[in-house]
Amino acid sequence: MTPPAESPNGSSSEPPGGSSSGSSAEPSTDLDGLGLQPERTLLAWQRTIALMVVVGLLFLRGSLVPGDDNVPEAPLVLRVATMTVLLVLGLVLGVHLGLRWRGSEHGKRAPGTGGPPLHVARPWAMAVLCAGVLVLSGVLMLTVLLGF
Amino acid sequence: MGSETGPGDTRGTKRSVDYRFTLANERTFLAWIRTALAILAGAVAVLHLLPLDWAQVPRTAVGLVLAALAGVITVYAPLRWYRVQRIMSRGGPLKMSLLPVITTFAVGLVCALVLLGNLL
Repeated sequence: MTPPAESPNGSSSEPPGGSSSGSSAEPSTDLDGLGLQPERTLLAWQRTIALMVVVGLLFLRGSLVPGDDNVPEAPLVLRVATMTVLLVLGLVLGVHLGLRWRGSEHGKRAPGTGGPPLHVARPWAMAVLCAGVLVLSGVLMLTVLLGF
Repeated sequence: MGSETGPGDTRGTKRSVDYRFTLANERTFLAWIRTALAILAGAVAVLHLLPLDWAQVPRTAVGLVLAALAGVITVYAPLRWYRVQRIMSRGGPLKMSLLPVITTFAVGLVCALVLLGNLL
């Protein structure tokens, strides 16, 4: 697992590699071992889950001006149900991420490998997230098309 | 899929992937999902949230195009993640994704619809 020459994501926030401390006794991957990359990924997960809940709230809110209804609006029961589904999915994802984060010692050491984790969340969490977005998109399209 | 190292990484002959690459791949997936959510927020705003003086047809069309685009991105993003993950574990060159082009054209179409709807 040698560090690659170029940045994997091309961003400027990449920590400098081990080149500056190559002559010291510290291992060259020490800077990467600070957990910056896993932490960035965890923050990306948190942003995404928060955005999913916010978009769900927008859908729950309905029209800002009551009576402006030339596009059929979803019934309140359906909107509340969608929001509940999104909240449950967000909660499941949050608990999963928290447990994994704690289990990997804040992204420093994954159990088993000893190095930083290859993934912050398991692949099923990605499927859960996609399911949440698809539910919202599907409910939005179906209610407009079916004309509730 | 449920293993610790993810797909393509469990076979013994595969080379191990640097964790920074897999995490960058995961963040790219999340960025696409956030893009889909932002587009979905636009669809909700056009269809329900904002008081717009548009006719029903262009309003519904813009909202549906946006919601459908969000759906397409949400289906494509995990497939793209899986494909990149597999390519990385094999060591081949990454292929270009078609999704940025699709997104650009769909957003451009929505812009044209909004402009025409306001001008005509």
